[in-house]
Amino acid sequence: MMASFFRIVKFSLQDIFRNMSLSFMTVLILILMLLSINTLIVVRVITDESIQTVKEQIDVSIYFHPESTEEEIGEVREYVGSFPEVENEVYLTKEEVLENFKDTYSDNKEILASLDELGENPLGPTLVVKTREPKDYEKIINALSVPEYENIIEAKTFGDTQVAIDRIHSITTQVERFTYFLTALFAIIAFVIIFNTIRVAIYTQRAEIGIKRLVGATNWFISGPYMLESLIFSIISVAVTYGIAHFSIGFLDPYMGVVFGETELLSTYFSSHLLLILGIEFVSVFLLTIVSSGLAMRRYLRT
Amino acid sequence: MIVLKNLTKQYTRDSVGLHEVDLHIEPGEFVSVVGQSGTGKTTMVKLLIAEERPSSGKIEIGGWDITNISSHDVPLLRRQIGVIFQDFKLLPQKTVLENVEFALEVAGEKKSRINQVVPRVLDIVGLSHKNERYPHQLSGGEQQRVAIARALVHRPKILVADEPTGNLDSINTQEIIGILKKINEFGTTILLVTHNREVVNQLKRRVVTLHDGRLISDEHKGKYRL
Repeated sequence: MMASFFRIVKFSLQDIFRNMSLSFMTVLILILMLLSINTLIVVRVITDESIQTVKEQIDVSIYFHPESTEEEIGEVREYVGSFPEVENEVYLTKEEVLENFKDTYSDNKEILASLDELGENPLGPTLVVKTREPKDYEKIINALSVPEYENIIEAKTFGDTQVAIDRIHSITTQVERFTYFLTALFAIIAFVIIFNTIRVAIYTQRAEIGIKRLVGATNWFISGPYMLESLIFSIISVAVTYGIAHFSIGFLDPYMGVVFGETELLSTYFSSHLLLILGIEFVSVFLLTIVSSGLAMRRYLRT
Repeated sequence: MIVLKNLTKQYTRDSVGLHEVDLHIEPGEFVSVVGQSGTGKTTMVKLLIAEERPSSGKIEIGGWDITNISSHDVPLLRRQIGVIFQDFKLLPQKTVLENVEFALEVAGEKKSRINQVVPRVLDIVGLSHKNERYPHQLSGGEQQRVAIARALVHRPKILVADEPTGNLDSINTQEIIGILKKINEFGTTILLVTHNREVVNQLKRRVVTLHDGRLISDEHKGKYRL
């Protein structure tokens, strides 16, 4: 049993080295497919980051009447906080709002002078609400547009941002759908190309398979080396792809940093998902090559 | 040694490979099976090595009924029958030595036994000095001798030779027939499928003639009569 196993290993390595050009082409195709999938992962990371960045730019501000009591404001805050869609809320007191206002218009002396003339703070407290998804803002705004809050809430930024929120929601949904479509398309292309590459590789060796059968080799003895070759090709292609991806990410990351302000965006993503990415890629390529080899060989192994 | 009883192989309704063939070959015999192209000679070989299954009738080899042999047992059968072909059927990516070793490796033989048997068999066919060459580096006659060596390593009781001289010139043909005769002298039953008139007439051994899938003559010291 062990002798047969070692012979299968020997024949497998002999096949790889004696059919070097075919082995090289098979590994090359596998690497190209894996690189395509890695490119898709990078595209998805960038898309997700872009969407997240855009989402983070959006919030809804609830402006309270300056006369609103702490108790009334507390009631609204508690109500807003009870929504599971709310990610966080930041409360700014009258004084903080005034301070921000002054900072914003520090270059405009006329506005600051008019503020001084009033003698008192005309601005009310503000609640800045951020939801998990842009589409949830509408729900929060609608929930606050009830008669009992009319005397407490002076204004909401709903009217000004609704169109932008809808537009962003529509864009992010379309981009997500497109990346799903792209992923599916790449998966199908990868499957077809790898499947055919392996089939052609086996087809070129069909005469040899026939001869091995004629001298009394069992199907296991014939298919074993091909299975092992699939394993070796999978390991080599995943390892080489990882090397290329690692180098490329190091090259791309500084550019990503300029756009998103995060210096190691891709490196962080890849290192935190390394085992998952390598594992899925290896298992996919191995299963694909094994299944392709098995199906291609089946017709030549029939007695 | 080989028993064919009422053996028929029908491929399609209009295409019959063999039709109700009865044949009994004793151990140690040298039998030539002759006939024109398409008369069922190769079908007979394919049935003997279980590459095809008969439509009806019975095949026995060394007392083993292989008529409905299972796929699992086919490799065992092929390790007991030596087979050589017109196109040699050598593994192009393996050397002479590896081609012959392969036949024992598939049977799970120990390396020590392989190292003992293979050089001896290569010596018998006169190729021990070319054991590191690849098939494409050999002449047709030499390639056929490698195929014979590979067929012999199992010490088979039967050697089936399907047109073994079909691709060879007259000198190489004589060499190969000489080796087959020598193997037969050691007690191996030889079934030679050929349409080479000279070879058959020169052998002066048993001749079985096929025509349109039927066995039309069986002579113990026969000649090529077609």
